[in-house]
Amino acid sequence: MTASISLRGVGRTFGATRALADVDLDLEPGVIGLLGPNGAGKTTLLRLLATALPPSQGQVRVLGRDPEAPAERTDIRRRLGYLPQEVGFPRGFTAFAFVDYIALLKEWTQPAARHAEVRRVLDQVGLSNLVTKRIRAMSGGQRRRVALAQALLGSPPVLILDEPTSGVDPEQRVTLRTVLAEIARTSIVVLSTHQTDDVAALCERVIVLDQGRVRYDGQVTELVRQAAGRVWLADQPDPAATVSWRTGTGRYRNVAAHARDGVEHVEPSLEDAYLLLRRGSPENDPAKEVAS
Amino acid sequence: MTGWHLDDGTLRRYVGRTDSLAEGTSVEQHLLSCEQCRARVNPAVDVIDLAAVWARTRDAVEVPRPSVFERLLRVAGLPAHEARLVAVASAFRGVWLVGVAAVLAFAALAAAVGHARGLWFFLAVAPLAPCLVVAFSYDRRMDPALEPEMVTPYPALRLILLRTIAVLALALPAVLLLGLVVPGDAPFAWLLPAIGFVAVVLAASTWVSPLNAAMAVSAAWLTTVWLVATRSASPAAVLQARIQVAFLVLAAASFGIFLARRRHLRQLRPWR
Amino acid sequence: MDSRPGDETLLLAVAGRDMGAFRTLYERHAGWLAIRLARRCNDRDLVADAVQDTFIAVWQRPQGFRGDGDVAAWLWGIAIRRLVSRMRTHGSVAAVFEKGGAAPAAEDQVLLSVEYGDIGQALARLSPEMRAVIQAVVLDGLTAREAAQLLHVPVSSVKTRLYRAKARLRAVLAEGSS
Repeated sequence: MTASISLRGVGRTFGATRALADVDLDLEPGVIGLLGPNGAGKTTLLRLLATALPPSQGQVRVLGRDPEAPAERTDIRRRLGYLPQEVGFPRGFTAFAFVDYIALLKEWTQPAARHAEVRRVLDQVGLSNLVTKRIRAMSGGQRRRVALAQALLGSPPVLILDEPTSGVDPEQRVTLRTVLAEIARTSIVVLSTHQTDDVAALCERVIVLDQGRVRYDGQVTELVRQAAGRVWLADQPDPAATVSWRTGTGRYRNVAAHARDGVEHVEPSLEDAYLLLRRGSPENDPAKEVAS
Repeated sequence: MTGWHLDDGTLRRYVGRTDSLAEGTSVEQHLLSCEQCRARVNPAVDVIDLAAVWARTRDAVEVPRPSVFERLLRVAGLPAHEARLVAVASAFRGVWLVGVAAVLAFAALAAAVGHARGLWFFLAVAPLAPCLVVAFSYDRRMDPALEPEMVTPYPALRLILLRTIAVLALALPAVLLLGLVVPGDAPFAWLLPAIGFVAVVLAASTWVSPLNAAMAVSAAWLTTVWLVATRSASPAAVLQARIQVAFLVLAAASFGIFLARRRHLRQLRPWR
Repeated sequence: MDSRPGDETLLLAVAGRDMGAFRTLYERHAGWLAIRLARRCNDRDLVADAVQDTFIAVWQRPQGFRGDGDVAAWLWGIAIRRLVSRMRTHGSVAAVFEKGGAAPAAEDQVLLSVEYGDIGQALARLSPEMRAVIQAVVLDGLTAREAAQLLHVPVSSVKTRLYRAKARLRAVLAEGSS
């Protein structure tokens, strides 16, 4: 059994809409960040990886197994944790009860072992004191952490997380990053997020999706390097910049597609590089057209 | 915090129970208001296993209690973890069951009272009750945790079938009892239609949501009953062997479709 | 030490479903409660069950504590009643702990009178049955009925013994002061 995930020529269509096209990926243990605007196909890709959806074209292999074959699909699901973008919680459930329920579905039949595992994952996400609180009475960030906890059951070798830190406050995000970094030593963690600083802190590798296609797939550091010499500070927003915004120091950060001379350059961040990639993409890219 | 605390000798005698009543009482009174001395007493405790008692207490407080239905399922022979899985479905939360039971009871009463239309009303409503409760038990709106559930290894088919059987085990005897109250030759005329509708809802749930399917089936059946009722005076029309066999065939065919399409059971409806 | 939350704060947290606070409460109090209970009942399993029942009751109704007095005293009130309840349903006679009826040694007697004054000596001179009743009703604050359940005697016996014990105590004290 390989420890990786591979996609070949994967596409997914919903009626007339093409959500994913021509996706070729090989994923190894570590944290892989998935960036992209809304509608880029991140959630679809994650659902595909989580065996929640079959592809319309192409081949998927998770841990060497084919999700199209029912027996292999069950095998994959035994080794997979999935955090969807939105999780609904049944009424009246406490955090413990909910994670316990998912643990039952994950074949934890022995109550003592199951309860210990439930406590372990709730502790991992920092909720060990709120185990008996009703989920409906929790804050958004706490609910997100409950949902993350169920994905962590069994320390799966494949962890698919759709916006795991959405609604989570900055302090807790740091805790979660530590947890995910620890898991990623032996597991494949694919997480999608809007927060570039999560990606920067956690991921060595980043995949940028746009309109269902892979726009960038490589090292975070390499992507950041692409913005070198293209980011500078000024007292006013620079009209020649592609994008500029006010920073906390009161000065303006400017990012442009072409390197500029004679300005106060600063170290580019992942956010700068990502914005450059997004804004810099040509309007009429033939690759974006829907294949007939 | 007062300055005076128990000395080691006194404490030892207290814990070892070699002191007198008066001394012990004095120690006990002191302990009620001195957390420092309490902290010194606690490590010496060997009369019970504090860690074991904690584990039991924690379980009593954290682990969700099995519902009545869950305990019934265990008695019926289902292993504990499956009983829990089946019983957790929203349909068994009491509220829905009570609602459906109320409607049925009302229908039975109407029939029993001898009102001419009462019997029609009962025949209209009784076959729908089981399929409605089945639909409640695994519709996505009722069961909001659907997405993470979808990718767990537990076989979807088994879960749905178990829940359906559990529901029927509840619903059918209940309607049976109510049917005895209803006057007429064959209070069980509704039985095959009921099973037929459950099978149709199961099959349809591989295309649309179970609740929508149950609503559609209900609408169709109620319309049919109304049409037949306005044309003939006697509910005996439903009792004809032909009709009953037709329902049997419907049930078998629907169930066959359900099994054939079980792959679609847990897949998301494509959006947009 | 100052940053440690007080018991009342912990109870508030328990009302908010904080497991950590609940555990701390347990660690602070389960021990001494168990010992004190074990001095009224020899059956260790019953004592363990009573401790468990006590904390479950605390979890279910932390607001039962009215803020008057120590949390520890409130906990003891729950614990002793849970023990009585367990002993009642358990049925079999669980011997109430009574330190051996032997008279205290000479130096202990001196100690007793120095530390506890005349009361200590007076109590020591009561019969074990009377001492048990005094402990249950006067010291532990049980009602006559609860004491009867604890000691496995009829309620009328409790009342009689209490009456006699008080009479004897008064007599001994009067004797001692003269």
